[in-house]
Amino acid sequence: MRTYILKRLVQIVPTVLMITFVVFVMMRSVPGDPVVSVLGDAYTEEDAIKAREAYGLDKPIVVQYFIWLGKLVQGDWGASILTGRPVLQDVMIRLPVTLELIVLSMFVALVIAVPAAIIGALRQNTWADYTATTAAMIGVSIPEFFIGVLLLLAFSIGLGGLLPSSGWVYLPGTCPSIVCSASLWGNTMHVLMPAFALGVGRAAILTRLLRASMLEVIRTEYVTTARAKGLGERPVVFKHALKNALIPTVTVMGLQVGFLIGGAIVVETLFAMPGLGTFGIDAIVARDYQQVQGFALITALAFVVINLLVDLTYTFLDPRIRYA
Amino acid sequence: MANGGESFRGALEAALPVGIAVSADDRSESPLRQAIRRLRKSTTAVIGVVIVAALLLVALFADVLAPQSPIANDQTQTFARPSWDHPLGTDQLGRDMLSRVIHGTRISLLVGVSSVLLALFIGVPFGLIAGYYGGRVDSVVMRVMDLILAFPIYLLAIILMVIFTPTAGLIGTIKVTGAIAIVRIPIYARLVRGSVLSIKEKEYIESCRALGVRDPMILARHILPNCLAPIIVTTTLGIATSIIVEATLSFLGLGTQPPTPSWGWDLKANVAFIQANPWLSLFPGLAIFVTVLGFNLFGDGLRDALDPRLK
Repeated sequence: MRTYILKRLVQIVPTVLMITFVVFVMMRSVPGDPVVSVLGDAYTEEDAIKAREAYGLDKPIVVQYFIWLGKLVQGDWGASILTGRPVLQDVMIRLPVTLELIVLSMFVALVIAVPAAIIGALRQNTWADYTATTAAMIGVSIPEFFIGVLLLLAFSIGLGGLLPSSGWVYLPGTCPSIVCSASLWGNTMHVLMPAFALGVGRAAILTRLLRASMLEVIRTEYVTTARAKGLGERPVVFKHALKNALIPTVTVMGLQVGFLIGGAIVVETLFAMPGLGTFGIDAIVARDYQQVQGFALITALAFVVINLLVDLTYTFLDPRIRYA
Repeated sequence: MANGGESFRGALEAALPVGIAVSADDRSESPLRQAIRRLRKSTTAVIGVVIVAALLLVALFADVLAPQSPIANDQTQTFARPSWDHPLGTDQLGRDMLSRVIHGTRISLLVGVSSVLLALFIGVPFGLIAGYYGGRVDSVVMRVMDLILAFPIYLLAIILMVIFTPTAGLIGTIKVTGAIAIVRIPIYARLVRGSVLSIKEKEYIESCRALGVRDPMILARHILPNCLAPIIVTTTLGIATSIIVEATLSFLGLGTQPPTPSWGWDLKANVAFIQANPWLSLFPGLAIFVTVLGFNLFGDGLRDALDPRLK
């Protein structure tokens, strides 16, 4: 097991290198020159050449990439071309916001989906099942920004401003500067709508998947055996059926990570949250090469690490699966 | 993202409780007829087909149906509340919202359908060739596909749109179509390659070769038709996903640019005024939802009808 995890961790390296390299090359083929926006009105050809030299932008792309990589292994993520701020510092400030959003949205998804799927599968073709499947169908068809808009209409405008429509209050202890506000209550109020906006779609996909694999599992012989030997309904459903039904579900949830990153960008944009999603999209649109590299790196890392976690979850769900 | 259906196809296959009864006259019917008959039996699929057909008509006759031009400004009529003149009100430039929502159907359907078809026409041949010839061809093609798949899809689509630089009108729409198609090509290549790997070992393919049938002929006439069912299902559900991706890119300001009416953009633009004019964001969002729902229902029904393992 330990060797397997080690092997997988080593395999992460080429994937991350490849993603960051492709992003590096792609960003530099974006029309436009960040030096132009740095210099602004004071632009002269002479200054531009100097600035390009200063940022190392005059070197061939591959050389630039290896310079970036060389600094990276020393813990230096570079500094933003436009603001001069260190990229690593910005990423670390914004990471907790996005992590909180994603973890809570997955929690929302599980809390809705697991009961809905179990009821749907155990009471197949009853009104409870139809309600669950219809709700899930609606859920997979609504983009998260529209769920967000509906939530805004209901809780920020409809209920007289019960929940704040935008901005962020940090969790105590994660506040990056003295000017920002931090409180548990304020944080909860700010994260509720974004977490639901991102979680509902996930809940719908999970419900559909889990219901389908539950239906398959409860017809297997080992479930019949478990019932025949007099086991109560609760252990049959949770220990025998649900655990096995979760295997294909976890796989697909792993594949969903790519969509989750897009979802985080959209939801953070809608609710004006200072997370990694807004950081990434702003950096890409502004062509801030160093910031984009930082965003690509953290996204690629999250992507491969989550996929590894998915594979490791299998051994918990099904002890027959062993990695040597 | 709420990416509709295709991602969980694997888990759903063979598990859906559709309980399609196989009647005695099945043997005399062609597979296509059987599929259509099963499709018509499913209420949800019929609803999906009706929604999709209605949207196609709206897109086709947008000029006739829309009461006004979707891009005509009227500074005297900004933020008008819904009325007989403007059933869905007007936006901050005094443009008729109903006309914008109607014309938005065109962009949404055009990008949704054509991006998926483009991905299909590129991805399917790659998958056929990789699966059929195997060896080095296979590993080169699939490496490239894995490279694209290794990316979180939105990261790639967003960067592609920044490279293409979003613009308005038809050119802008083609750019969005291209960006979405590129991220979807590997889905088809993988799907088709998988089917080909099993089909090419069948005896009828061996007998084709023995008869001296050329490879392109075998691929086109004997292998491709046998992997059509999953391609059709993936395409229908893929349109739903593509429409969401298009709306999302538009929402982020990276889709077809204004004044061309696009639902995602309209929704985003009107969120700024949500406090005073809550209905403005509602309608483009509803339009996206209904469109995606239509394709998802249709796709789900098609899967049930085409997959014989579900019997």
